[in-house]
Amino acid sequence: MDTVRYYILFPNHTEGIKMEELLKKNGLGYTIVPTPREISSCCGISIMYNVKDEGRIKALIDGHGVKTLGLHCVNKKIVNPYL
Amino acid sequence: MADYRKLWSKLGVDLEKHDQLCAVLPKLYEGTYLTQEDRPAGMNYFNSVLAEIHGSRIEELDEHKKNGGKVVGTFCVFVPDEVILAVKAIGVGLCAGSQFWVEDGEKVLPRNICPLIKAFMGAKVGGTCPYFQSCDMIIGETTCDGKKKAWEVLKNYVPVHVMELPQMKRDKDYDQWIDEIKDFIGKMEELTGNKVTVDSLRKSIKITNLKRRALKRLYDLRKHKPSPISGLDVLLVSQIAFFDDPERFTEKLNELCDELDERVKNEIKDEGKKRIMITGTPMALPNWKLHSIIESLNAQIVVEETCTGTRYFENEVDENGDTLEDLIGNIADRYMKINCACFTPNTGRIDDIIKYAGEYNVDGVIDANLSFCHTYAVEHRAVEKALKEQNIPVMQIETDYSTEDSGQIKTRVEAFLEMI
Repeated sequence: MDTVRYYILFPNHTEGIKMEELLKKNGLGYTIVPTPREISSCCGISIMYNVKDEGRIKALIDGHGVKTLGLHCVNKKIVNPYL
Repeated sequence: MADYRKLWSKLGVDLEKHDQLCAVLPKLYEGTYLTQEDRPAGMNYFNSVLAEIHGSRIEELDEHKKNGGKVVGTFCVFVPDEVILAVKAIGVGLCAGSQFWVEDGEKVLPRNICPLIKAFMGAKVGGTCPYFQSCDMIIGETTCDGKKKAWEVLKNYVPVHVMELPQMKRDKDYDQWIDEIKDFIGKMEELTGNKVTVDSLRKSIKITNLKRRALKRLYDLRKHKPSPISGLDVLLVSQIAFFDDPERFTEKLNELCDELDERVKNEIKDEGKKRIMITGTPMALPNWKLHSIIESLNAQIVVEETCTGTRYFENEVDENGDTLEDLIGNIADRYMKINCACFTPNTGRIDDIIKYAGEYNVDGVIDANLSFCHTYAVEHRAVEKALKEQNIPVMQIETDYSTEDSGQIKTRVEAFLEMI
């Protein structure tokens, strides 16, 4: 079964951590994840978020001048290689 | 999502080959970790360290080296972190937990050697581990024949200092270990140009003890039924303990434990999962194979009696002492309490397993051995006998890093869980 997941990508680690602080302060749920290969071949952190929060997240990004490489949606099959 | 390729290139990483690893890790993490439900928010820090494991931490090491600092690689819980910290060097565990590195390792080592040794050798030979590439020196030890001989090959690629670990625990073995620690101090002073003093050593003992205490706090929380955190998540925390800055790690781990304290107070729904202890060989990053298989079933891993578990943090170094001699003696005492299968006899390990089985209220024990790890494999019979005498169910799994036997392991664990 395919799963839809939503990510914020960043130009560097510092901007990612800045975004995390904002999400935490505003009580929005999030998960820090390795950047999915489907979106970029660069390593490092991205933030996975709930789509219901997307409006508030965009406002936080704009309001606080967080540098991002965009919000991305990926539809994929998640496989545990051990199972 | 910075581009670290310039840094990796400077370190001599084989970019093309390393990219294959970068391509696999996010998927592997997503499939094993990000499919778990209700993870503590405090795991986000450890997610970020994992995501940046070859990124921002390598940048920190690079910065440290630019300022004249040294980086030292280790593979074993017997190498005293306190000494490395006391000379202002950074100690890092090394890449050794993926099948990705095994093929390159087999180019210079026999195939019938444990996957951990083949993997670390492959990581260096193939130039695919930025940690290895950052190291000014590797500190080896004599915990098994495989490693002991591997250092002879490894020293063709990077400077290696080997600590001779005694294989018995008699008074003269303690004395020998004290001498080894003194030699290690000399070597580290020579490498860094910094002297170990009573103050610097005491300070590093305190930092390392606080880290151990935080890990112990995490493990103590798992004694609650049900545990407020998965075995998979704790395994990641333990693995990251070998790479991260010790003070930052301790702070973040204590934050996670604060959150778990709240979880425990609010009572978590008990789904009746079987409480499992893992005992045996270490699980180096990113070896999540057994935890992932076991916890996909009706089971929760609540304690690991391994080098990436209790052996890493149990017992603190006594901080009291007026001289270097006193403090070195304290360090030797603490490290000689580790019950590794390299010792003969090693009945202390069996005592630990029985003690943890009670403390963590386990329903069963899985004795996990990496293929060709003879010392732990030989101990299995004694472990099994002691557990059976206590009516504690036990099973043995011998495996490596490949996924070929995963289905078979899952079936065996399923049957074991039904039986207990």
